[in-house]
Formats: sequence, C-alpha cells, structure tokens
Amino acid sequence: MAGSTFTRRRIILLLALTTVMLVTMDLRGSGAVNGIRSLFGTVFRPVESVTRVVVRPVENAWNGITNYSDVLEENQRLKDLVAYGEGAKIGAIASVREAQELLALNGLPTLAGINSCSAQVVGESPSNYAQTVEINRGGECGIKVGMPVLNAAGLIGKVTDVYNGRAVVMLITDPSYSLAVKVVNTPPTTTTVPGAPGVTVDTTTTTTSTTTTTIPRTTTTGIPGFVPGATLAPTVTTNPSQVTSPNATVQLPTGTGDINKPGEANQSEITVPPGADLPLRETGALEGRGISKAPVVRFIENQPRFGEVNLGSPVVSAGGASSLAPPDIVIGTVSRVIKRSGSLGPLLEVKISANLDALNFVRVMLYQPSTEKVNAP
Amino acid sequence: MDRILDLAQNRYFRLFMVALVVLSLQTTLFSDMRPFGVCLQVMLLLAASAGLARGSETGAIGGFMVGLMYDMVLTTPLGVGAAVFAAVGYLAGYVHSFVHEPNWWSKMVLSAGASATGMVLMPVALTVVGTEGVLTVNVIGIAFVVAVFNALFSLPFERVCRWALSEPKTVR
Repeated sequence: MAGSTFTRRRIILLLALTTVMLVTMDLRGSGAVNGIRSLFGTVFRPVESVTRVVVRPVENAWNGITNYSDVLEENQRLKDLVAYGEGAKIGAIASVREAQELLALNGLPTLAGINSCSAQVVGESPSNYAQTVEINRGGECGIKVGMPVLNAAGLIGKVTDVYNGRAVVMLITDPSYSLAVKVVNTPPTTTTVPGAPGVTVDTTTTTTSTTTTTIPRTTTTGIPGFVPGATLAPTVTTNPSQVTSPNATVQLPTGTGDINKPGEANQSEITVPPGADLPLRETGALEGRGISKAPVVRFIENQPRFGEVNLGSPVVSAGGASSLAPPDIVIGTVSRVIKRSGSLGPLLEVKISANLDALNFVRVMLYQPSTEKVNAP
Repeated sequence: MDRILDLAQNRYFRLFMVALVVLSLQTTLFSDMRPFGVCLQVMLLLAASAGLARGSETGAIGGFMVGLMYDMVLTTPLGVGAAVFAAVGYLAGYVHSFVHEPNWWSKMVLSAGASATGMVLMPVALTVVGTEGVLTVNVIGIAFVVAVFNALFSLPFERVCRWALSEPKTVR
C-alpha cells in the first residue's frame, strides 16, 4: 500500500512538473514547442483528412436537420442584401478608386499595394474557449504569424500559427486579440436619394434675409455615416459671416452683380471647404471579449470636438508602425456606446462587418507588422 | 518486426492510436456539430473513460497524454489541457474506486461529473496562465451540455479504453 502511494505521488509530481515545464516553454515562445506541434500536425493531418471525408455525410445531415429554417431565412435576407448591395457597389467602387488615386498622388501607401493570399476556411476551433479557425494555406504562400486576415466584408483576425499547407487564424472576437482602430464619427446626416420625392432639405435661418440651405447629402453605402466621397470638400461659394450653424454648408444664390464693382457684388470667389462637416476621427484599441460578446473599443478620449459617438459610425483599422494591420481596413460599426464617468472616454461596442459564423473564403494580407517580426539572433 | 509488435502491445501506444482517431473526430465532426452552441468534448470523455476503465493512476497518465494531444491542435498554451485532462482521468478513477458494485449508470454519472469538472477546470487553468475572458457564466451551461453528452457516450468509450489500456497478456 505504501509502495502504491509512493508510486501515485511520484506520478502526480512527474505530471505536474511536466505541465509546468511545457506551459513555461510555450509561453516563452520556445522553438522546440513549435517543432513538436508541427511534427504532431504532420502525423495528425492525414488522419484528420480521412476522418473529414468519412464524417462529411453525417455533418451534412446534422446541418440539414438543425439549420434548414435558418438557411431559408438567410437565403431570403441575402437576396434582399444583394439587391441593396448592387447599387451601393457602384458608388463604393468609384469612391475607393478616387481614394486610391488620391493616396497614390500623395505617395501614401494603400491596401491595393499589399499582396495577398486567398485561402479557404477548413475548420473551426474544437475548443469552447478559443475563437480560431484553420485555413488551407500556410507558409508556402508567404503567410507569416501576425498577418491580418480579411474576407469580403472586412477584417476577421490575424494569423497566429503557420505550418506547411495550413495556418491558424485568431478571430477578432478572441479575448487575446487587440488592434488599434479609428472611429470615424460624423455629424448626423440625412440619408436621401437624389431626385426621389420628399428629399429632405435642412433649412437654417440667418440674421439676414438670405436663405441658407445645406447641400443634400447622398448616402450610398450600407454603413450609416460612412459617405463615399464625403471627405472631398465640395466647392461651394460661401459668405462665412452669415453662417449660423457650425455644421451648415452655406450656398448663396448665384449673384447677378459685378464682382469688380464695390458694393454691387453679391458673389464671392473665395471658396471655403466646409471643414466642420468633415468626419472626425478618434483612435482607440479594439479588444475581443469572447464569442458571446461584441468586441469593444477602449481609450476613445472624451473630447468635445469629437462629440457624441453616433451609433453606426464606422470602425476601421488605424494602421501605424506598430499596428497589427494596415490602415483603413473595415472592421465594423459602433453598435452601442457605454458612457463612463469622469475623464474616461466612452466604451464602444462594435458590430463586426464580417459574419464570423459563416466564414469560407478569406484573404491573408501579406503584411507583417513590425511587432510580430521575429528578430534574427 | 518484433519491435513493432512490442510497440503495438504497449497500452499507452494503443491509447495514442485511439486518441488520434477521437481527436480527428473532435476537430471535424464535433467542432461542426454544436448542440445548443456548445462544442462537445469527446477528448475529455476519453480521458475520463481511461480513469473509469483502469483506475486513477492509469487515468491520470492516459488523461495527460490525451490532453497533450488535444493541446497540440489548440492555440492554448501547451500543457494546460494535459494537466486538466490528467486531473479528470485521476478524479474519475479515484471516485470510481469508491463505488462498491459499479454498474452502467454509475459509470455514466461519474463520467458526467468528471466531464463537468473538467469543463470548469479548463477556463480556470487558462485564466491562471493569463488568458482573459474565458471564465464567464457561460462555463456552467457548457459544462452541463458536455456532461450530459459525455454521460450518454460513456459506456462505449469506457469499453474502448478498457481494451486499449489492457495489459499485454490480456490482449494475447
């Protein structure tokens, strides 16, 4: 009995020590641990592939039973979405091209200049506590740890492990995920369709008899507040002294007087971009909170200029030397604003653009952040 | 050839082969089939079944091995799952030793209890090693669903583990 207890204690001690050693080595980024994982993957992947083929009919049957009504509903919703997206696409493409031309003209980097590798999601995480997916491209495609991964809707995560022929992607809902982001806050605008009946025109009275009319803003994107071409300042003829509303863009009626004759000119040639109408940007840190909770953006400063954050304001990657992703990748929209006391800025819940439950084809941007680069010894 | 036969007679090698197949089911079938949104944990069931079949010591070693294999395909720190699964295997075997006349339902109850314990221990262990946001109220629901499923499938798994972890003499 004493011998048995000794053996049991010895086994428990041995297992505990092995655990501590393995955890320590893994957390310190030991190359041996990665090697063991890679070796195990080489043995395991063929078995997994065979099993995947064998169990596919069972999976299909299960999905048919449990998801049939959801698929029907989704199909209907997607048809509506396609009809809606067709119109938005044309405007969006034009805006993106304009933006890329402007960036290229100013020698600024754009997403179009970064190579990418397309891949397909082949598996979800088998754990209840990690939000990862596995894709079918790896090191052979130039994929490295830290590279951002997108689908058609926007950012979905970053690469955390790379092997030959496969890679693991940590989703942005994972609690370990954090990314510098920009929140593009715009003043409330009216969504109108030009030429449609009932176009809304905001009218502001001035101290003079001049009628001041804001230019109707046309929104063609699905993200409220993210107006294609909104940052392009329209050339309007204004008389700044007569503007009473800070957000109003003023246009005087076309004058008939001679501008060269003092006192007769009622049309100024000075053009003023409506700076107060430009979208305001504030940076913060996006943090995942697990699969059941929406990610949040922290460190948004409580600046009076930035104002109240509007629901639906777009959230895009901030970029920068140490950021995990290049700038201006769409992440989602603000779905909830949690106000906090004191000088703490608001906490913003983000509705992610990409549907992380139905990932299929993704694009790995071959952009390795400086923080993820392995320094040569 | 003799060496290969000797290896095949080793009970932990047989458990490794069984665990490899179960792991492939875990990463394919059970990561896709999620009743009530919960990913069922057959690897945990295998660890608990090892304890139920061959006692606490074998359960601890078998659970550690199964957990380590599971860690290999997860992004969690290597060794965390191994420690938790070893505890589950040990616990299942230890509690089972107190049952006077084990029968089918006692094994199911023990398997469910050990699995639920494992599902609670896993986020605790992850929190200890620095992972944030995993220790939430959802753990209770996850543990319940996994426990019920593992109870239903405990008997065939226990039988498989009894075969895999049998001594060489018994196999011949």
